[in-house]
Amino acid sequence: MMTPLEIKGAMAAVITSAVILVATFTAGGIYRNRYETETQPATEPLTPEKLAAKGRSFFFQSCAHCHGQDADGGEDAPSLRKLQISGAHMALVIRSGIKGEMPSFAKKYNEQDVTAIVAYLKTLR
Amino acid sequence: MIPWDKLHGAITHFPIALLLFSTACDFVSITLKKLPFARELRLVSLYALAIAALASLGAVISGIALSKGDMWGRGDFGWHHRFVWPAFGLLVALAVWRLVVREATSRFGLCVYLCLMCLAAGLIAAAGYFGGELLLSGGGVP
Repeated sequence: MMTPLEIKGAMAAVITSAVILVATFTAGGIYRNRYETETQPATEPLTPEKLAAKGRSFFFQSCAHCHGQDADGGEDAPSLRKLQISGAHMALVIRSGIKGEMPSFAKKYNEQDVTAIVAYLKTLR
Repeated sequence: MIPWDKLHGAITHFPIALLLFSTACDFVSITLKKLPFARELRLVSLYALAIAALASLGAVISGIALSKGDMWGRGDFGWHHRFVWPAFGLLVALAVWRLVVREATSRFGLCVYLCLMCLAAGLIAAAGYFGGELLLSGGGVP
């Protein structure tokens, strides 16, 4: 069986791990809320339709020549229809790009622009 | 602006590599007890595990910053997180236990520890796999 020291160590391990996980999720939640608040437009918020329309125009500027005009995919780029990934993940790919395959758009589009592109991509599901 | 994607990609390799290395060192030192450096190998595994736990904090912080606080998600992103959180919790717990107990382990305690190390190694390898999928294949972008 386990020695008293091992049991003490196990208790310390469980408590430390639980505290760190709770702190991580709390910090992540706070960060998420703050991020969503900051990315809210100061002016009247766009309706989902207007946001998607704005995203559509960005799509035609930067994405359509590889992914196709109707996002069905091109010779070197996949279809963006029926994406089974979250909006945050789409934004991540748009911002970071894909190594050797797709450039990063972080410098070209700000957070609100990326949100608009994501809104448009979601309409293609 | 901090390049969180590059930072996360750089830091995550430390906990993955060190945890796998630590597990391997433990198994070698236990199965080959007659090795002249078996005790030193156990010490190496202890420090590798401790550094892995510390590095995992950096990996988690940079990951949260990169995903803008999205702790779950869908597709490969979701699978990455499903493996990351248990791996992270287990890694921290194992490092704390090991630092408290040091060499004073019972046979039963050591068996449980090694089983959990294998589980943590599997979880972190899976998390790393889906993290790599996110980066290299577009993370589920068909």
